[in-house]
This record gives sequence, C-alpha cells and structure tokens, in this order.
Amino acid sequence: MFEQAISAMASVVVDPYLLGLIFATTILGVIIGVLPGLGATTGAALLLPFTLTMDPVHAIAVLATIYVSATFAGSITAILINTPGTSAAAATTFDGYPLAQKGEAGRALGIAVISSTVGGIFSVIILCFAAPLLARVAYEFRSPEYFALTVFGLSMLASISAGGAVKNLIGGIFGVWLSTIGAERVTGIERFMFGNYELYEGLHFVPIFIGLFAISELLVQSKTVNKIINTVTMKAVKLPTIDDYKKIWKTILRSCGIGTFIGVLPAEGATVASMIGYSEARRWSKNKKEFGKGAIEGIAGAEAANNAATGGAMVPTMVLGIPGSGTTAIILVGLMVHGLRPGVYLFTEQVEKVYQIFGSMFVANVMFMLMGLYAAKLFARVSLVPTQILWPIVFALSVIGAYAFQGQLLDVWLALIFGVIGYFARRHGFSVAPIAVGLILGEMVETNLQHSLKMFDGAWWMILAQPLALMFLVFAFLGLCGPMIYSWITKQKD
Amino acid sequence: MGGLSLNIMKNIYLVPLILTIFSLSVIAIALQLDTSPEMIVGESMQARSFPIFLMILKLILIGVMTYQFYKNNPKPVTLEKYHTWGSMFLFLLFYLLTVYTDMFIGIFVVIFLMSILWGERRIWVAFLTATVTPGLVFLLFDYVLKIRFPRGILMNLYYG
Repeated sequence: MFEQAISAMASVVVDPYLLGLIFATTILGVIIGVLPGLGATTGAALLLPFTLTMDPVHAIAVLATIYVSATFAGSITAILINTPGTSAAAATTFDGYPLAQKGEAGRALGIAVISSTVGGIFSVIILCFAAPLLARVAYEFRSPEYFALTVFGLSMLASISAGGAVKNLIGGIFGVWLSTIGAERVTGIERFMFGNYELYEGLHFVPIFIGLFAISELLVQSKTVNKIINTVTMKAVKLPTIDDYKKIWKTILRSCGIGTFIGVLPAEGATVASMIGYSEARRWSKNKKEFGKGAIEGIAGAEAANNAATGGAMVPTMVLGIPGSGTTAIILVGLMVHGLRPGVYLFTEQVEKVYQIFGSMFVANVMFMLMGLYAAKLFARVSLVPTQILWPIVFALSVIGAYAFQGQLLDVWLALIFGVIGYFARRHGFSVAPIAVGLILGEMVETNLQHSLKMFDGAWWMILAQPLALMFLVFAFLGLCGPMIYSWITKQKD
Repeated sequence: MGGLSLNIMKNIYLVPLILTIFSLSVIAIALQLDTSPEMIVGESMQARSFPIFLMILKLILIGVMTYQFYKNNPKPVTLEKYHTWGSMFLFLLFYLLTVYTDMFIGIFVVIFLMSILWGERRIWVAFLTATVTPGLVFLLFDYVLKIRFPRGILMNLYYG
C-alpha cells in the first residue's frame, strides 16, 4: 500500500502532460486568486465544465490546483492593495497591508509565500496519512452512522464564518430541500417538479453552483463599480531572513496544525482557519502591540492556516463524501461527475488515482511558491483589470459553462435564477456556501435516514443505540448548542 | 410595538415573512404529493415526509431568527445601484434573445451592454470584449470540448 502510494505520487512528476496542466492551472489559479471577488470557489465552479472531457485524475488535479493556488494568491492583493483576493486572505490584510505601507511589501509577500507553502505541504502530508486511516474507520459505517455523520456535517454549517449560525442553518436546510426536487429515489414519486421532466433526476449541482457562486458574485460586484483602488509599490519579493524565520517558525507550525484540523471539520474552510490562525498567533506572541501595524507573525499565522486548511478539507471530502468547504463541495461534484465515488471504495479500489491527486496537490504547492516568489509583482497587476471588462466575461463563462454540463438550456436558466437568489440571500446576510453544502448532503441525509428506518423497522430511536452514530449526534448537538451553553455558564459565573 | 417605525418593522419582519411564506407553500405542495403503498415504503418515510420535516425545522429557525432580529435590530439593507438592477434586467434580456434569436447573440448583447452599464466609456473596448469573448469560448467548447450549442440564427448557419 505504502509503495503503491509513493509510486502513484511520484508518477505525477514524470507525467509531462499532468505537470504542464498543473503549471497552467496554477497560473490560472493565482490570477483567479488575485482578482477580488473571483475566489477559489467561483474559479472552481467556472472551471468545472471545462474538466468534463478530461481524464478523472487530470480533472480533479485541475480543481485541486485551483483550490490551493487561489487560496494562496488572495494574499497578494491583501498585502498590496488591502483587498483580499479571497475571503481566506481577509486576515492577511490586518498586518500585510500595514507592513507594505511601511515600504516592506516584498518582505510581507515573501513571508506569505513561505508560510502558505509550508501550510499547504504540511496538510497534504497529513492528508496522505489521515485519509486512508479515516477510510478504514469509515469501512465500519452503515446507514445510521452515515445519517448521523451528515447531520453532524450540517450542524457544522452553524459555525461558517459568514452569516450567523441561524442564518447558515436556514441556508443549509434550504439546500437540503433543493435536493428533494425530482423523483424520490425509493418510490419514484415526483416532488416539486411542476411538470418539468428535465428535473426528474433532480437539480444538478454544476449549474446551481455556477449560479450561487459566480452569478451572485457578479451581482455583488456590480455594487463596487467605480471603486478606487490604492496600490502599494513593490520592488521584488524578499525571502524571509534568519531573524524572520526565528520569529515565525513556531507560529507557522501552530497554524499548520490549526488549519489542517479546521479544514478536516465538515463544512469549515480556509476562511475560518485563517481567522483562528491569526488570533492564535496574536495570543501566543510576545509582541501583541505590533499586531495590526505590520507584525510578520500575523501574516504567517493567517497564511499558513488558510493553506493548511486546503489539504485538511480534502480529507472528509474524499473519505466520507462530506465537503470541508465551498470549494471542496465543487471538487466533490467533480469526483462524482468523473465516476470517482468518494468513500471507502475510492481508497480500496482506486488508490492509485487518489494518490495521484494528492501528488498533484503537492506539486501545485511547490509551483505556486515559485510563482509567488518570482512573479507576484506581475500577478498583482492583473487585479487592476477593470470590473466592467472582467465581470461581463465571467457572465459569458458562467452561462456557457452551465449549458455545457448537460447541453440543456434549462441549466442556464437555473444558473441565472440561483444567481439572483444567491444575491438576495447575501444581501440579507445569508452565506451561499451552506446552501451548496446542504444540496450535496441532502441526498445522503434522506437516503441514509430511509435505510436506517427500514433497518430498525421504523424505530428511529435505534439510531441512538449505535455508538458511532450517537457520538456524531452528540458532536452535532454540542456544535449547535455548545456556544449558547458556554455563554450561559459564563453569564451565570459573572 | 407601537413605537416601531415602518422601516424598522420592515427590517425585522420582511425576510422572516418571505421565508415563512415559502416554507408554508412548500408544506402545502408537499401535502398534495402522492403517497406510496405500504408494501413499498414499509416502515420508512413517505416521499412527502422529509420535505415537510425540513420546512418545520426551518420555521422553528425562522422563529429564532425573528427573535434575534427583534432583540438586535438588523442593519438596514442599502438600496442597489442601478448597475445591479440593470444587470438583472440584462439576464432577462439574455433569456429573450436566446429563446427567440440565438444564445451567442444574447451573450454578445449582454456583454456589450453590461460593459457600458458598468462604466466602460470606450465603445470599441466594450464591442471588442463582446465579440472576442464569445468567439474564443465558442472555439474552445466547439473544437476542444465538442459541445453542440442550441440552435438559433447563428448556430443554424454554422451547423447547416
């Protein structure tokens, strides 16, 4: 098994086509990452239709590369123009931009590049070891355990950073409801189709995701037309000095652990990881007063954590079929579209493909490091592409991408409708990621609940008698009520 | 309640009201769904049960959200600039053009008008973007990905 894994990972380096693909996608990912509004999730949603004709490993390698490179690239604009290219880089602006304003933009970017690379590579290593172990545990899962696990995954939506807990749960439930549209899988009864037989097999993820992420972002960006951007000039990216390394190595290691752990949690992602990585860096720092004024530990803490979350988020995605973030929800769809069924099967029958994907992520981390060090200045200029040119192009890519998936115009209309729904949801403080995660988990929840009820002759409480299922449900309860109980206890103490 | 102005009431109750109407409509529709014979469903659920359960859960959460809004008055939502409404109108125009003329004519018109609407003053830049983008995308999808586009004025000329 170990030898097979190593040789599969090494095969990435000797496959010139795959290497070229990763290289090209890394450039694209960095461009997507530096363009404010076009994050890893939107980028992956737009690229998904392009991967349809590719070999499964190549397709997932493309999506995973977009994920890691765009997550890193958000830091370039966060440091140079105080606008995070992706939400995961929001915490990088706190110290990155102030340091850049002091004339040390090159140093700030150098620290961001190194921290991101270490975080990314650390998480891929953990992914290589943790995923097969978790798959072995998941081998024991039956319907009650899967049902409880998906409930746990949905409960974690409460803590996604954007929106409030209640709003995120409402969004998640809306997503689960969307998964019920179409013919019911056991009885074949048509639900919410209103006579439209193109919906018989349910809503397809690709057009919905393009709408929720790309079209809704287009409408959000329409509010920022004519925004003036102040840029900071930079000569070249500087590698951190020995003194810098002495200052940040503990922070990087801590953030690697935090980021990977947060990433593994279902429905959590790089944004939450970077915020926690940053606040922990501040908490453990001896120079707390420097934070917010250009502390290099702040940049390292946020950047190592957000890239570490990328590998972590792939663990539940590939092992359990539960996405760890908005982008991994799209990668999960990519896996399904290409016939790679996430779960135990993937790790027993298609090990080689799995490790080729992991190997591609490893290579992508090295490639974005080189690009970050030698071409960040060039990429930063891309962020100055006028919105009135960029977003109409995104519109064209979105509608054609939605159409290309199945060759149905209905998918284009669905993308536009969900774009408008997503926009109004975001306008009122709802995040769209819970809707996407809910849509993916919906089928799993319902099917496993049905199977569990059949298994126990309708005695639903028997689900609670299964130790693993009970554990996940307790975690779900704690995830939902823990913060409320904690604040109540703190209030009582005060 | 008498002290609450119309705007504050709108801030607190508009979103919960829309969500409640939606949830109740889903329940009403779900109740109309067919039921399956006992021998198929067995001790499991009817097709209507799960959506109804979801909507009841959602109504409970809407209640909690309304309470939260009442306690901490939500920030008023700023009105959209005409760019946003205009973009939505362009989506509608895209639909009409695609259905009655051709998808690529729709894309061309929307890109061109969106660029102008969003502030592009150089007509030739907007025109170039509107021509080159669909052209390149068409070449990529038609030649590389072998996608057949829906028939319309232009596609009929191309496919024959």
